[in-house]
Amino acid sequence: MFVKLSRAMLSACAILTLAGTLAFSSPEVRAQHSSMPPNARVYFIWPQDGQVVGSKFWVRMGLSGAGVAPAGVEYPNTGHHHLLIDTDLPSLTEAIPHDKNHLHFGAGQTEAQLELPPGTHTLQLLLGDAAHFPHDPPLMSKKITITVRS
Amino acid sequence: MALAPGRMIAAMLVLSPVPALWAQTAMPDHAVAEPTQPGEQKATPHRSPAPKNAYVYLGWPNDGEIIRSTRFRVWFGTRNFGVCPAGFDRPNTGHHHLLIDVPLPPLDQPIPHDKNHLHFGAGQTETVLELPPGKHTLQLLMGDADHVPHDPPVLSRRISVTVRAD
Repeated sequence: MFVKLSRAMLSACAILTLAGTLAFSSPEVRAQHSSMPPNARVYFIWPQDGQVVGSKFWVRMGLSGAGVAPAGVEYPNTGHHHLLIDTDLPSLTEAIPHDKNHLHFGAGQTEAQLELPPGTHTLQLLLGDAAHFPHDPPLMSKKITITVRS
Repeated sequence: MALAPGRMIAAMLVLSPVPALWAQTAMPDHAVAEPTQPGEQKATPHRSPAPKNAYVYLGWPNDGEIIRSTRFRVWFGTRNFGVCPAGFDRPNTGHHHLLIDVPLPPLDQPIPHDKNHLHFGAGQTETVLELPPGKHTLQLLMGDADHVPHDPPVLSRRISVTVRAD
């Protein structure tokens, strides 16, 4: 009897814990933890819009009025950079995709070396929070266009 | 608006992006720390390791820059290394400290926290400084979760700037 009761309680606890986890992982609840000061701004220090660059170049990511923190670090008014290459903004209510068009800098990097084929490319920065979700409101740079020399 | 630490920091401002700025390839300037006086030996705290190719640099201003304002923005460059707020022990990361008009502090102790040693423990990668007219030196030094420089230390060259009144 006692064992059965304990098992039932454990199951109930497990369900409650699961429910709690789900509740906390829902974007609505999380959004409260990933706000940014209104003056925060993310921008390209380098390259700039319209720049012509070689095939291998450094990108410097600027963040003003907020801080950089690696992915997984929950700290107020921080985020980590994501570099969107030749793509439009992803959904701003879901985790930022992780592929060759969406580079994550989850180790707190503020610069990166890129190698792109010759031609015209677009670059845009989008800040993500500890769990790679855009902030609320989202913090993104202007989408810039660069030309890579052949 | 949250104020950054230090009296010299006016505020984290939204300013227009600085025009194309190239970082100087700052070779670490391993100036020797002030020797500890005999009799006042301090316990050596743990120093977080840093990759040998990690470095920080002052993105702007450049060495020798003449700044025509007592208020100017400084941005911090970090390469082969990540930025992380103080208090979080993450490999190959640290937070910036800006040393103003002072030599390097001892590299095996927590970095002092005063108006000559500004801490950017919230992961900031730029700031706005307000300095009186005249010549000043600036140097960046990374600190780990406990504000202790890494091993080897991740630091920039010490640069000199001249501030002119508006």
